[in-house]
Amino acid sequence: MPDSLRFPLSITLLVVIGLLLAVPWHNARGQAPETTLLITGAVYDSQDQPVADALVSLHEANNDEALTETLTQPNGRYSLTLPETIPNQLTVWVEREHFQPEIVRLDTDAMQSLHAGQPIVLPVTILQRQITASFWIATLIFIGMLALIAFGKLHNTLAALLGMSAVFAVSYLGRPLSEELFIFTFRGALHYVDWNVIFLIMGMMIVIAVVERTGVFQWLAFAAYRLSKGRIWLLVIILMAVTGVASAALDNVTTMLLMTPITVQIALALGINPLALLIPEVMASNVAGISTLIGTPTNILIGSYAGLSFNDFLTNLTPGVLLAMLGLILYTQFVYRQELRANKANGVSALMVEKLAERAQITEPDHLKKAGIIGAFMLILFVAGEAIHLVPAVTAIMGATALLVWIRPDIEEMIEAVDWTTLVFFIGLFVVVGAVQEVGLISIIADGIGNLVGSNLLLAVLVVTWFSALLSTVIANIPFTAAMLPVVGYLTATIPGAQSNVLFYCLSVGSAMGGNGSLIGASANMVTAGIAERAGYAISYAYFFKKGFPALLITVSLATLWLIFHFL
Amino acid sequence: MSGIVCALRGGPASQPTINRAVSLAKETALPLFFLYVVNLEFLDRTASSRTHTISKEMAQMGEFILLTAQTKAEAQGITAQGIIRHGNVTEEITALCHEVGADYLVMGQPQIQKDDNVFTAVLHQAFVAQIEAQTGAKVVLAEEA
Repeated sequence: MPDSLRFPLSITLLVVIGLLLAVPWHNARGQAPETTLLITGAVYDSQDQPVADALVSLHEANNDEALTETLTQPNGRYSLTLPETIPNQLTVWVEREHFQPEIVRLDTDAMQSLHAGQPIVLPVTILQRQITASFWIATLIFIGMLALIAFGKLHNTLAALLGMSAVFAVSYLGRPLSEELFIFTFRGALHYVDWNVIFLIMGMMIVIAVVERTGVFQWLAFAAYRLSKGRIWLLVIILMAVTGVASAALDNVTTMLLMTPITVQIALALGINPLALLIPEVMASNVAGISTLIGTPTNILIGSYAGLSFNDFLTNLTPGVLLAMLGLILYTQFVYRQELRANKANGVSALMVEKLAERAQITEPDHLKKAGIIGAFMLILFVAGEAIHLVPAVTAIMGATALLVWIRPDIEEMIEAVDWTTLVFFIGLFVVVGAVQEVGLISIIADGIGNLVGSNLLLAVLVVTWFSALLSTVIANIPFTAAMLPVVGYLTATIPGAQSNVLFYCLSVGSAMGGNGSLIGASANMVTAGIAERAGYAISYAYFFKKGFPALLITVSLATLWLIFHFL
Repeated sequence: MSGIVCALRGGPASQPTINRAVSLAKETALPLFFLYVVNLEFLDRTASSRTHTISKEMAQMGEFILLTAQTKAEAQGITAQGIIRHGNVTEEITALCHEVGADYLVMGQPQIQKDDNVFTAVLHQAFVAQIEAQTGAKVVLAEEA
């Protein structure tokens, strides 16, 4: 196909798919109105959350044999169709694994209505949690998975797969021994897998794979060097800005993978310690990444769970991120003041600068131009897509496909560039977190935090933000965020004023900026440390903590102030 | 062929190694080869599928590290060659020693570390014995600064 046709074809494909997805297909098939006599109601747990897949059955008095039965929908609602002959006494039984069963006796008024041919709506049935052996087993599996990840005993993905397999093994092999060992079915587990997250990450990975091969990062880093005219204090600010913007548009790990080697080269050319540039860069990456929906995996998780759009993050979080970045810049200028004030004339290697200039070329300008155009369309769809209910995952997949059609890279290479291990990690993680959610651990944690903060939104903001930030220094922030989502969802539903979703933004701030508190707090830190160590500049845990923890305190404080100012 | 192989990682810790290699080259008049090995095993637990992404960038970073060593040697009248290899550090050092028929292999003093770095004390001793046995090259350990 001629290259001139690929662009219009790609854009047409993007637009057509978008329009097709925007068509409300669910309305195409009209549903016949239900005329059968019904008993309707809803089943909730003690935290006012709907309980799906609860078995609701209708019985004559206390007769074990059900006259009719149904399962509750994801919104907790159910409709029971009545038999032709209505007995004089009816009871509704509600049963669900991990909950105590409930029996609701229909009172005289309800029975009279039914005999008169009128449908009735029962009061909401509240199910109480039941702690069984499966609760403890799922909890142990979850903690075990976190420990394996935290101590680096297994690859993250392997740890998540092990956890997922253990959950299924207990459910399927344990159930014949005792019903109490059952956690959930395979089908039930899949309900917890957030495919919006999986597809959004996959789509963005393909786009990133194209962009990262164009040499744009090397070009940007050298442009920063030239712009600074050798003033190291200015160079570090520009590099932080470049890294921050790149982290907001791509992901932090990719950004640091590409920025670290070129930064080391610039530092060597200038004769300064590379850590004076690298540490501010990685901290900027952790802070600025959360300014968009797609900037960090944690934001993708939060956005998908809470239904927060690209615009929501931009309008509600970006000002706070800018404030935190300002604080971070001032802090890094202070903490690295000796290195940043170094006289440039002392250590600059003309030969190395010349080599840097040679390498700072856009290697694939055509691909970069096309990626830029598609990226701009994607940005428009991310921003405007909310109006037509276009979910970000679909935009990412459409953008990635359009880009591949347009530039026609080696498709095998592009598929290999997708980080499948991360996607599998997410699937395993969703299942394990789903298991502890299913057995009630998350509810207990939510109850605990709920009792602690009561109906005080300010206290909730502080607790969620700082609890997340401090825990993210020792626990991998992705599983932590995944586990915290239902907790924050509960707090959002129960605390007056929290319906603005402020607590989800607190979780975003805490889990991402908390990554600056320790070397293991973020994958981007580990990647940066790995590359720096390969250049002979090891970043120890103590060194990172000494530089990073004050940065955590400053940035999280500033972001918290913004959230309080903006929402409360 | 004959020569001196000097395996580098870069950074301040490599300066005594570079100095020792340069002084040895001056003493023996043997050609000097600085070696940097691009090893991406550190990505195994965080970003294992991204090795293709930064392999080239890491090699370029290695070239800069070698360039600093070469510049330092040049200042002392020694023209050294910089060599970049990809893969396992031990295997690549061994391979280069074979290729150049190295008489000497200059390395840094071992540092006791908790990670699986090739230069831990026990591995270092075993590695020294292995290299000397395999290539006949004498291993020279640079004194710390």
